[in-house]
Amino acid sequence: MEQKKTFYQEFEVFSKRTPSSPFQHQFSLLAPNAEMAMVMAQENFMRRDPVADIWVVNREHIRGLTKEEKVTLQRLDNKDYRTTKGYGYLKKKWRHYEQQMLDEKEILSWAGGNKND
Amino acid sequence: MTEQNLTITPELKDAVVNLLFQLADDDFFYSYRGSEWLGLAPHIEEDVASSSISQDSMGHAAMFYQLLEEIGIGNADALAHLRPANERRNSILVERPNGEGYYMEVPKYDWAYAVVRNYFYTAAKKIKIDSLKNSSYEPLAKVAIKVNMELYYHLLHWKTWFVQLLSSTGEAKQRMQAAIEQVMKDFADVFSFGTDGEKFIASGLIEKEDVLIQRWKQHLEPVFQSIGLTVPEIPVNGERNGRNFEHTEDLVSAIETLSEVYRIDTAATW
Repeated sequence: MEQKKTFYQEFEVFSKRTPSSPFQHQFSLLAPNAEMAMVMAQENFMRRDPVADIWVVNREHIRGLTKEEKVTLQRLDNKDYRTTKGYGYLKKKWRHYEQQMLDEKEILSWAGGNKND
Repeated sequence: MTEQNLTITPELKDAVVNLLFQLADDDFFYSYRGSEWLGLAPHIEEDVASSSISQDSMGHAAMFYQLLEEIGIGNADALAHLRPANERRNSILVERPNGEGYYMEVPKYDWAYAVVRNYFYTAAKKIKIDSLKNSSYEPLAKVAIKVNMELYYHLLHWKTWFVQLLSSTGEAKQRMQAAIEQVMKDFADVFSFGTDGEKFIASGLIEKEDVLIQRWKQHLEPVFQSIGLTVPEIPVNGERNGRNFEHTEDLVSAIETLSEVYRIDTAATW
C-alpha cells in the first residue's frame, strides 16, 4: 500500500456553471485541508468560465468500487420493462384496431344495403 | 429444441425436469415473497433496490421455466402459474410468508426475517449456480453462467444488510438472531434434491448435496467471523421436504393469489 499522506491531501473538485445546472467533476488537486483546496480550486481553474458553485471533496471520503466489486455492476439483458419507450407503439395498435372496427362496420352496412335493394 | 429431444434419454429427461422444477419454483416463490414487500420496505431506496432484486430473480425463474418449455413440458407461463401446490418442487423456506398479516390489509412483516432469508437463500443459490456452470446438461449450464452475473450484487446487497443489522445493538440484533433461528429451521430441504437426488449426481447434472453444503458454510464463514458469530448448522431432516411435493398451506394460498389474474384468461397475450 502507498504511504500515508502527511501534509498534502488529494481533493476532487466539482463545480456548476449556473445555479440550476448539475455539479460536474472538474479535476483534482493537492491541498492541506478543505479551505485551502477551495481557494486553490478557484484561483487556479475557475478564473475564466462563469461558476455558480464549487464543491471540494477529500478523496479519502469517496467510496468507490474496488476492482472485485465491479462485477456487481453486471446485469442480464432481459429487462425491457425497465426501459419503456414512452408507449410509442400504442398509436400503431390503435390504428390497427380502428381499422378493424371500420372494416366490420362497412361489411355490416353492405349487408344491410343489399337487403334493402 | 427438437435436437435436444433427440440427445436426451428418457431417464435423464426425468432427472433434468425434476431439477429444473426445483430451481424454477425456488426462484419463483422467492421472488413472489419479495414482491409482497413492495411499498413496505424500511425506506424508499431499499424498496426500489429490493424490488429490483425480486424482478431479477423472477427473470431467473423465467429462464428455468423456459428450459422446461424447450424440452416439451409445457408453456413456461402456465408452468409458473397453474401448477398446484402438490406439484411444486420449491423448498419450504421460500414459501413461508413474510410475517403476520396480509399485504393488502395490515402487514406486520419482519425485515430481519427478510434479510436473513434472502441472504442465506442467495448464498445457497450462488453455490448451486456455480456447480451448475459445469452441468452435464448444457442448456442448464449456459443459463447458470447468465444467472451468475446478477448474483454478485444480490449477495453484496443482502450481506451488507446482514452485517450492519447484526453489528448494531439492542432490538435489531435480537430480531436478527431470532430470524437466523427461524430461517435455519426451514433450511433442511434447501440443499436437498429429494428422492431423485442420486440420479442428478450420477448423470452429472450437479454436485452432491453435502459438497454444496460445505461450500455454503465456507462462503459464509468469513462474514460470520467478522461479526463474532459462527455459521449455524443445517438441520438434517425437516418436517417436510418441498423437493418431494411436501408443502405448507401457505404455498396453496400464495399460488391462489399470484395466479388470480392469469387464470381469468389463460389465452391472453401480454
